[in-house]
Amino acid sequence: MRNIFLIARREYLEQVRSRGFRLSTVGLPVLFLLLASFSHYTTQKAGVTKGVDGSLRLAVASADPALASAVRDRLLAGKAPHPQVEVIAPAAQEAIAAQLNRLRSGEIDGVLAVDRAGGKTTASYTSNNAGDMMTGNWLTNAVEEALVAERLTQAGVSQTETAALLKSVKLETRQLGKDGSVVKSNAMASFWKGYVMAILLAVTTMVYGMNVARSTIQEKTSRIFEVMLAIARPDELLAGKLLGVGAVGLTQMLIWGVAGAALAGSPIAAAVLSGQMQIHFSLLEGILFPIYFLLGYLLNSALFSGLAASCETEQELQSFMPLAGAPMWLSFAMMLLVVSHPNSMWAVVGSLFPPTAPIIMFLRMAAMQPPLWQIGLSVALLVASIWLTLQFSARLYRVGILMYGKRATLPELVRWLRAG
Amino acid sequence: MPVVELAGVTKAYDEKIAVRDLSLTIEAGQMFGLLGPNGAGKTSSIRMMMGITLPDSGTVRLFDQPFTRQSLERVGYLPEERGLYKKMKVIDQLVFFGELHGIEAGEARKRAQRWAERLEIADVLEKKTEELSKGMQQKIQFIGTLLHDPGLIVMDEPFAGLDPVNAALIEKTLIELKNAGRAILFSTHRMDQVEKLCDSICLVDHGTAVLSGRMREIKSRYERNRVIVEFEGSDAFLQSEEVAEARNFAGHAEIRLKPHGDAQKLLHQAAAQARIYRFELVEPSLEEIFIQTVGGKADA
Repeated sequence: MRNIFLIARREYLEQVRSRGFRLSTVGLPVLFLLLASFSHYTTQKAGVTKGVDGSLRLAVASADPALASAVRDRLLAGKAPHPQVEVIAPAAQEAIAAQLNRLRSGEIDGVLAVDRAGGKTTASYTSNNAGDMMTGNWLTNAVEEALVAERLTQAGVSQTETAALLKSVKLETRQLGKDGSVVKSNAMASFWKGYVMAILLAVTTMVYGMNVARSTIQEKTSRIFEVMLAIARPDELLAGKLLGVGAVGLTQMLIWGVAGAALAGSPIAAAVLSGQMQIHFSLLEGILFPIYFLLGYLLNSALFSGLAASCETEQELQSFMPLAGAPMWLSFAMMLLVVSHPNSMWAVVGSLFPPTAPIIMFLRMAAMQPPLWQIGLSVALLVASIWLTLQFSARLYRVGILMYGKRATLPELVRWLRAG
Repeated sequence: MPVVELAGVTKAYDEKIAVRDLSLTIEAGQMFGLLGPNGAGKTSSIRMMMGITLPDSGTVRLFDQPFTRQSLERVGYLPEERGLYKKMKVIDQLVFFGELHGIEAGEARKRAQRWAERLEIADVLEKKTEELSKGMQQKIQFIGTLLHDPGLIVMDEPFAGLDPVNAALIEKTLIELKNAGRAILFSTHRMDQVEKLCDSICLVDHGTAVLSGRMREIKSRYERNRVIVEFEGSDAFLQSEEVAEARNFAGHAEIRLKPHGDAQKLLHQAAAQARIYRFELVEPSLEEIFIQTVGGKADA
């Protein structure tokens, strides 16, 4: 036990005193902040395509002049993007073809053709940007609203009432707390909170897991292992390394936590994190975050320390990188499903499956608080999988750290596992 | 009391037998040389002694007790494949090794300071290891091995990478440690050093001990059939029927006599033909014994 403590302390002090630790402690949150700000900025900027002069020039062509005018009115009714709309009605096929020529010559930015035949309305939009989904949605809404307005008018509803009916409603979201109380919540802020915490977990567990692997390779190439093995058992070396590097990660989180708490009370944070971006952290999140970090990190590092012992160089270790990144990619591929359906089967399975559990559990927590038994089960499964991984990894580690010359082949790894 | 006792130790890796039925004993105050060509099984034997690997059969005893990891606290081991933590300060590194061997940090620091002064590297204690030359790092490894005042010192190629001045310093230190009652085992290819320092040797080849015992006793087993002659005049005596092989370096001849060749007769022949300044019947060198024993296979 004393050896494990001494090895862990050495590992901890070496990493904490390194320039890399100082840089990542300051740099990572700054990078996150910049990315989040940039992402927020681009989201704000995202929207309906604008023309070269800053506004969208549209031609709305229809055989039905009333429908074309109604569509134009709906397009002009919104706050943005204030298009210039030209109504071509009644328009035959030749007129539409002429508008397409104008589009080709750059005179206009898009042609919206709306037609009605046999009680069925069809619409097509031609522009230079087929992948512009937001413009597509905006135009669809305008056509649908024009049709609704038309029918309401036909039913004798006044224009004022129609306008009031078609006005968008601002939805205020609230969330039921564990104690049954209703708390005001903001879907956007909750999403961002869950997203940032999940990405922090993904990055830190992977980075620190790979840190252990890299440190194993470095010690193998510097030939320190044989010196150490005369003093400590391989299991003690591995345990000390895992604990030391894990403690470095927790220290970094503590620094971020303290700095975050200090900043949260500042006037700048109050201004930024107000209104839509008001974020609440629960005590459970505060407790679970370091626990999931530690478990996720231990699972990664347990796996990669064994594999690293079978490599000779860091370049060889790089070939395992896709394996390290796989849980992260899988988790983020499921992100939309998890956030929109946090209690769906896939979301629950993802938050219980050990490699993806830390990330997906926090993504679920962004939307709602999962049942405590699921959190308990995911922690228990993680602990069990760490233990299991360590059984295999320690065998590879014991043999691999004394093998020099070439990277072990798969049959050799199997032999090491049997020998261990 | 034997400090190290290997009895019938055998170790195989897959199909290859690295060590076969090896037995040896090292006493306190003895310098022991473990010799053999590359791949002979020296490092495998040492690793079993250090508990890094376990023998398939046979027993290892340290300090007259069956091997336990506890006994390693009294052992200092400098392996052939050795390294240091590059980013650590030298002093921190030595204190770390000391603590792992059960010494308190403060005491380890004091001892590191004393050893650094003794080996003339006190000025580098505050430097990072990566800033030091290979020879300097070797001295630090040497200190790390001795910091806890071990009763048994095991060194695999301790002089590799050292310049003659530092090699002499390490030699001197090892002799002092031996005189202070420490048992020292070292494995090397440098026969001259083994001949100069070791009381006993074990020569292994293909995992088997082919020659072992006290140096004097081993040498006495071999006939004194080498003659060194320094002379002036005719070298015709080198063609004598007593001579099996001779090399003449301008007045300095090294002669190997035929089995039962008569050195006295050769001296008379030489004196009759040339002026003799030196005529010495010498025992075979360890290198000759080594080559003779393991044949042409040795690449040492």
